[in-house]
Amino acid sequence: MTSLKRRDFIRRSLAATAGSAAFMAMLGKLEMAQAQSAGRGTLLGVGSDYRALVCIYLYGGNDCFNMVVPRDSGGYATYAATRGSIALPQASLLPLTTAEAPQGGGQFGLHPSMTGLRTMFNAGRAAVIANTGPLVRPVNKALYEMPGTLLPAQLFSHSDQSVQWQTPRADTTSRTGWGGRLADIFAGDNGNPTLSMNVSLDGDNVFQAGIDVSPYFMSSQGVESIGSIDTGAANCAGTNAWNRRRCMTFNALMNRQYAHPFQRAYADKVKSTLAVSSMLQAALATQPDTDAVYRPFWDLHGLPWNPANLVELPRLAAQLLMIARVMRVRSMLQMSRQLFFAGIGGFDTHDTQLADQAPLLADLSQSVQAFYQVLDNPAFNLGTQVTTFTASEFGRTLTNNGDGTDHGWGGHHLVFGNSVRGARIYGRMPNLSANTSNPDNAGWGQIIPTLSVDQYAATLASWFGLVPADRDEIFPNLVHMNGPLLSMSGPNLGFMNSI
Amino acid sequence: MADLIIMAARRLCGLTAAAALWLAGSLAVGSVQAATHIFSGSFSSPAEGPHSRAEASRFLTQATFGPTVGEIDRLSAMGYNAWLTEQLARPASLQLPFLDQRIMEYINAGQPVQVWQDSRQDIWFRNVLFGNDQLRQRVAFALSQILVISDQNGSLEGNPTAIAHFYDILANRAFGNYRQLLEDVTLNPSMGSYLSMIRNRKPDETLNIRPDENYAREIMQLFSVGLLRLNNQGQPLDGDVGTAGVQTIPTYSQDTIRGLAHVFTGWNYSTCTAPTPEQNEQGFSWWHWEYCPSGPEAQDWRLHPGWRTPMFPWGENTGLGVLYHASAGSKQLLNYPGVTLPSGVLAAGGTARTNMQAALNNVFNHPNVGPFIGRLLIQRLTTSNPSPAYIGRVATVFNNNGQGVRGDLAATVRAILLDAEARNPSVAPAHFGKLREPLLRVTQLWRALDARSNNGRVNEGWPDYYSAQAVQRSPTVFNFYLPNYSLPGEIATLGLSSPEFQITTDTYITRLSNELGGKIFWSWRGNPGLGDYDPVQIDIAPYVASAHQVDRLIDTFDLLLMGRRMSLPMYLLLRSHLNDISVADVPWDVGGLNGRRERVQDALWLLTTSPEYVVEQ
Repeated sequence: MTSLKRRDFIRRSLAATAGSAAFMAMLGKLEMAQAQSAGRGTLLGVGSDYRALVCIYLYGGNDCFNMVVPRDSGGYATYAATRGSIALPQASLLPLTTAEAPQGGGQFGLHPSMTGLRTMFNAGRAAVIANTGPLVRPVNKALYEMPGTLLPAQLFSHSDQSVQWQTPRADTTSRTGWGGRLADIFAGDNGNPTLSMNVSLDGDNVFQAGIDVSPYFMSSQGVESIGSIDTGAANCAGTNAWNRRRCMTFNALMNRQYAHPFQRAYADKVKSTLAVSSMLQAALATQPDTDAVYRPFWDLHGLPWNPANLVELPRLAAQLLMIARVMRVRSMLQMSRQLFFAGIGGFDTHDTQLADQAPLLADLSQSVQAFYQVLDNPAFNLGTQVTTFTASEFGRTLTNNGDGTDHGWGGHHLVFGNSVRGARIYGRMPNLSANTSNPDNAGWGQIIPTLSVDQYAATLASWFGLVPADRDEIFPNLVHMNGPLLSMSGPNLGFMNSI
Repeated sequence: MADLIIMAARRLCGLTAAAALWLAGSLAVGSVQAATHIFSGSFSSPAEGPHSRAEASRFLTQATFGPTVGEIDRLSAMGYNAWLTEQLARPASLQLPFLDQRIMEYINAGQPVQVWQDSRQDIWFRNVLFGNDQLRQRVAFALSQILVISDQNGSLEGNPTAIAHFYDILANRAFGNYRQLLEDVTLNPSMGSYLSMIRNRKPDETLNIRPDENYAREIMQLFSVGLLRLNNQGQPLDGDVGTAGVQTIPTYSQDTIRGLAHVFTGWNYSTCTAPTPEQNEQGFSWWHWEYCPSGPEAQDWRLHPGWRTPMFPWGENTGLGVLYHASAGSKQLLNYPGVTLPSGVLAAGGTARTNMQAALNNVFNHPNVGPFIGRLLIQRLTTSNPSPAYIGRVATVFNNNGQGVRGDLAATVRAILLDAEARNPSVAPAHFGKLREPLLRVTQLWRALDARSNNGRVNEGWPDYYSAQAVQRSPTVFNFYLPNYSLPGEIATLGLSSPEFQITTDTYITRLSNELGGKIFWSWRGNPGLGDYDPVQIDIAPYVASAHQVDRLIDTFDLLLMGRRMSLPMYLLLRSHLNDISVADVPWDVGGLNGRRERVQDALWLLTTSPEYVVEQ
């Protein structure tokens, strides 16, 4: 049986004790039981004892057609004619040097803000995954227009498409993410029963929501404690005696059995918050952010670095810095498999796109570059074991509405890391013509994806260690992702090297 | 009467440990409430009440920003109907006049104007804490989470007055008609900026421009009908009854979005008088359309009239005509049983105004609106998971208030609050209730403890830091949490919605607990260490004076904050905790004052962070 079925069996037998007083105690032991039973047999790749994925979510729908831009004369001419007042000047594009000619030919460049990405791409440590999006089945324009074709529900809607991007189930309203499903499988490989395999730096997200495993939220400023009950150590046993009585009563209230499911859930959340925060705080305290190893985050954004008074970093940089610090104490936390989620907002550029998108792409590009400079430092040596990838609910329309773009469908995405088979554009860049005859144009400038998010995610998940049997269960639509309507067939897009 | 029985029971329980243990074992959570319903429920309709101060407190938790001793007494004396009538008649406490006054103070003093979004938060807090139009403010707050604009937006972040004006519209219309509210919101320039309806223009082939679809999408998805066709009880319609499961039916298609987007074109600030035809001939008209100001350049933008008046069809009543409105071409709008427009299609032609009216009528009259908006209001006021029957009863009143009027918000709100499911726990589903919104936890504490400002300000400019919630500051148009958010785990398995859990993360559990700690342990009236930073201070003096009476202390806070729903085990835990704090008169604590204070504060903090309080039932 697959590891998933093994876990279902254990969960159900534990659930049989539900209703007895023992159940609440058993719930806490669930992780331990899974750890004992699942074992490490599901891992692919040998020799590495740490693996992490970092998802960078771009809220709002990133206009990727102004992120990766054709720079050969023919391609650029089409792009400029279509994009009109929001086209980037040809001379400003940062040239990409590809190790192989992209599908459909042409040469490409990046938005002028993205110097870091250009450096990583040309060095083979980043890749572009072209024209990806949610699909239930591969479609072309003719099929798209035909009634009865299976299409993702609520295309072009932020909330629905961002859920479909994170699950990635374009055919259901499931709100369980593929990162959460990975955690359901791999969490047992971590020696730590209380810290979730999934850590979010940007709050709630669908990607990390599993069936059994919920993500742990922290902020770029770290872990905080509840002051009124903080005795300085776990179990109310520290030396801040003035908090001890409150700590004990508070814990007693959280440990009560409650009749209302919301009360149970709240009490459980509080307890897990307390347990994890004290553990994480202690670990992070050993590796402060004033360590010079983290300087690239300031240097690459042109910010002064002064350990006595650290200047505030851009949003993504601050999140990736904290992720690096958590990775650094992975042994102390007994974590060998981790999934991180970070996010930046502001990509829904219906208006003033040129001004709004530039600093966001700068944050994305230089912050990831800094992240990998830190990971390559001998203190970490994790560049090969950490893969970072972008996600966003959709690309945007080819045509503009005056000074911005509207919701589209297919979009380009980025993967970073030393395990990436970089300096390549995977898939096929779409035709950017605004004519209704453009076969990639669903209508109104919304581009039909020629790769599905299932394929993109499955490639990353396989690198992470997912075996084919579990992979097909988590990505059930993957079996349909074949054929001439896609730019690449099958569950593995080949952009990752195995370790 | 019921309240005295509970208090007596508790004193009896405290007498012997054995008795306490027996009671703890045999009484389930909620059994204490059974006592209150000996005298209510089956003997009268929900509207005839409250029958105890506990019921009054519970009602006020749903209908105000927090019960107070005074308001519990008043409501108990006058009853729900009279209280509601009084509330409906009270005019709105407004935000904009306060902000304008502050702006003028700076201008008249010749100083740079320092009125920003934190000033707006300040007046919001003042109105909801101290205003006597409590129910109206509560409904306005609920509406602000449905008809969302946010200062997390480039064009609005520096414009607190524009956002305040929008909120004042919600407050003024809270008991009006939803059709009128939809129109006010649609033509409001802040909403126009937030969802890019302002300066939206008709198609232009040569420039490759088509109408922006942002507002068209959201007015349907979020402000009126939602994504799926519903029955009157808010349950999705099944498009294929023969097939297993529910085959949901979308309410609208991309064509409808496009159709509406074409209607929502041609509107601009009311201050944008179109140029003369001569100017147009010199090619100024596009420039004027795109850049005309919302007010005089010399005037502070926060005072500009263009942000405080409805948008208008630019070019109207000039030789130009409404140049950018897409009157050509028919427009597919919503199609539904009973729709007035043939197959929901708005014929070509018409003016910007007539097309706008037709489109708003088309949207407003969709059968989804009652159950969709009704359910959202129920979730903000009483419970996250109303039964279909409850939704149906509320939607029915929305559809027809009894005098043939559709969209009567006053009647709808009354129906929500006086429904048996909301008033009578014994007939409500077992999971009735909701996780209290963070902002309401703060206002409830402050109101219950008679908080007052010592300088007129509230200084709570960034509550989102500790709670992920601040009025009109949600990260996106989807509010702070989704109505259908379902916490992974037991709640999701039970198929329940738990919106507020979406912002109840480790970070915010910690920060909100600490923030409440600061307001309880530090910002109390008379604390000599306080500076000007925390001007709002709770009044614990009366409770400190009688802190030796532990039972009374717990009972009072239980009544004020929990509607006397505290379970016996929780009561015993608090009682034991408080009794453990010495209030003896000793040299190092004269009069036992510090001990008394600690009892009061510990009781408050432990209660306001407890699961039984945080989940309102």
